[in-house]
Amino acid sequence: MSDVRNYETYQGVFSGYDIKPGFLDEVFNAQGEVLPHYSLVLNQFKKFSLEDFNELNELAKISFFNQGVTFAVYSDKARGVERIFPFDLFPRIISAEDWSHLERGVIQRNVAINLFIQDIYNKKQILRDGIVPAELIFSSGHYAKAMLGINPVGNIYNHISGTDLIKHSDGQYYVLEDNVRCPSGVSYVLSNREAMKKTLFNLFRKHDVLSVQDYPQQLLAIMQSVAPPSDNEPICVVLTPGVYNSAYYEHSFLALTMGIPLVEGRDLFVDQNYVYMKTIYGPQRVDVIYRRIDDFYIDPLAFNADSVLGIPGLMGAYREGNVSLLNAPGTGAADDKAVYSYVPEIIKYYLGEDPILNNVHTYRCELDNDYKYVLEHMEDLVVKPVDESGGYGILVGSNSTREQREELKKAITANRRKYIAQPIMSLSLHSTYIEKENKFEGRHIDLRTYTLLGKDKQFVIKGGLSRVALTKGSLVVNSSQGGGSKDTWVLAQ
Amino acid sequence: MATEYTINYHTHNQYEAPVTEALFELLVAPCTDATQRITKLTYYNSLGQELYYHGNPFDFQVACLRSAKHFNEFKFTMRATVEKSQPWLIVDSLPFAEEQAILASRNFYIDHHLYLGFTHYTSILESYHTRLLNRPHKQPVIDYLTQLNQYVYELLEFDPVPTNVHTTASEVFYLGKGVCQDYTHLFLAIARLNRIPCRYVSGYLNQGGSLVGSAVMHAWAEAFIPGHGWFGFDPTNNLLVSIDHIKAAHGVDYSDCSPLRGILKTQGQNYTSYYVDVLTTQMQEQTQQ
Repeated sequence: MSDVRNYETYQGVFSGYDIKPGFLDEVFNAQGEVLPHYSLVLNQFKKFSLEDFNELNELAKISFFNQGVTFAVYSDKARGVERIFPFDLFPRIISAEDWSHLERGVIQRNVAINLFIQDIYNKKQILRDGIVPAELIFSSGHYAKAMLGINPVGNIYNHISGTDLIKHSDGQYYVLEDNVRCPSGVSYVLSNREAMKKTLFNLFRKHDVLSVQDYPQQLLAIMQSVAPPSDNEPICVVLTPGVYNSAYYEHSFLALTMGIPLVEGRDLFVDQNYVYMKTIYGPQRVDVIYRRIDDFYIDPLAFNADSVLGIPGLMGAYREGNVSLLNAPGTGAADDKAVYSYVPEIIKYYLGEDPILNNVHTYRCELDNDYKYVLEHMEDLVVKPVDESGGYGILVGSNSTREQREELKKAITANRRKYIAQPIMSLSLHSTYIEKENKFEGRHIDLRTYTLLGKDKQFVIKGGLSRVALTKGSLVVNSSQGGGSKDTWVLAQ
Repeated sequence: MATEYTINYHTHNQYEAPVTEALFELLVAPCTDATQRITKLTYYNSLGQELYYHGNPFDFQVACLRSAKHFNEFKFTMRATVEKSQPWLIVDSLPFAEEQAILASRNFYIDHHLYLGFTHYTSILESYHTRLLNRPHKQPVIDYLTQLNQYVYELLEFDPVPTNVHTTASEVFYLGKGVCQDYTHLFLAIARLNRIPCRYVSGYLNQGGSLVGSAVMHAWAEAFIPGHGWFGFDPTNNLLVSIDHIKAAHGVDYSDCSPLRGILKTQGQNYTSYYVDVLTTQMQEQTQQ
């Protein structure tokens, strides 16, 4: 890394912008020059005085309040208090070339994962062939015996997949995580674009940015494509656990934008193996349910008997092929962070292709050598529990205390199957407005993409959610862990 | 020689406060397999609701009933006529090496993984493991299981008081007492610890003999004998499964076979009772076409 930097002189909100050596900045190259696909936006931003920018920032916040885009954090003492998801006005821009690579990559990956899920609940050929260890799948808490013998319409299990990507200092994209248990966050993609257009409309005149607004229509089309055979137009609904769920805003947003009912478990019932919605006109048959309730709670007769969120008898109706569920129950056995390390092999096995997107090297603590390595090199690794989502339970070795590491070592030793570790990837940095400092600073970002699979249909939202770790130096970007987000632009050319 | 049985399963549930909405699932009908055939099956319910059916993960038919009318009482009867023949007996075991090779093979594990795993009901504290009857080296699987059957029978005292529907194999071992469900879970747990696939079976017993557990729905175990197939053991009676055992369903443990489940909207207490009767008609072996 050269220490001599040819910084451009930035005024206003960019004054003193510091490009850290050894990291990849999405906006500037190592010499401090702006990258071509960012030059128009940067020129515009440089024209703003601090006052201008603060005003724009306030406008954007108001836009979120007006849209009602809020979330709740479970650890909050004031349960149910709504917060605004921090939003940064500087858009993340992905070139057309990068995007076409990413899009092909996530489709390939999620199609392969779908075939894998189908296989592990049917012939189990990949396990018989010894490509993925059978114990790994059968010991997963998300492997659902209730799925045995069920064939979903179109053989689609992971209708909606959230693939988390990062750009490493080598300039390559890496998949960090697969999320196939009804991943959340897509509503932010749409509302970020909305806020951006309201605040900085002129920017869109100068760029050919691909639209994200077709997502709800695409999702509805996917739902309809997997409806059980019927003579009538399929009735699709969004099933939410209720207003206290952290993603309730998203559930209502998606139902509203798709123009379909938002229901809770108590609004539905099962009779004669069909699902019905209680309406003022009497029971109305339901064909497709986009359920945002976890497997364990969707049917008290099949899973947790104490669940009051679910619909008794739902799995019976599903087994008889009279209703479709998005995503299928039991998909969690495939987005386990230990299974993640096999995804390149899974892609080769089912598709006969080399993976388009890279995987991050993963140590699985259940393997003796990996376990030993992880205990000895914890400071250089990110350690994650395999079955948690939302960034809970993650330890970033370099930012941890000796005490935390010792505690985690004990936890790993007690349950080795539960933990994996990865080298600390240097997530790319992106200029981000830091309110406290009144200026732009580099912050780490990732990218969650959303892939839809239906019967003979595939779709990826053009862009996705760029999540920002707002704490200086932090690598944890999850919204539940104090992250923010950016509008993500995919350029048409 | 075949036997014809007429089986009645009757349950009576009373509720202190009215039930406003209910869905019941019943897994009580005898199943069809190599040794039994259902010739007649009827259901009656006091709510006058039309029953419907769906499969379960183990391919058994579950009878369901929904009611949205208020009720304080629910009666349900299943009546089945079953033709039952004597199950096969294992004459020869495979040579030890061959038996071991099958037990250790990846495909065998994949095919039977559900019946080799440990659930709430079939887990035993690790500190108990060495005190259990474990399979000695080179003992044929069938011999071991026969011995295990007797071991569980002798270890436990039949006593419905100390255990309930949630009791685990570990607790049963500790208490030394239980009912057929507990005998079976302990048998399953020990067989699985010895890497032999073993599943929970619910069913009915011929009431003509002196078998323990014939007044209610019974439970026993089926283990997979390499080279042969599934074979039944009744540890409550220290018997191999015979013409006296009429199977309803099987699963990983009790939770896959519970006869009656319901999700009800009601308040207050409920009182449940049920009984079973199993009547026999000896059938002549069919010598004429």
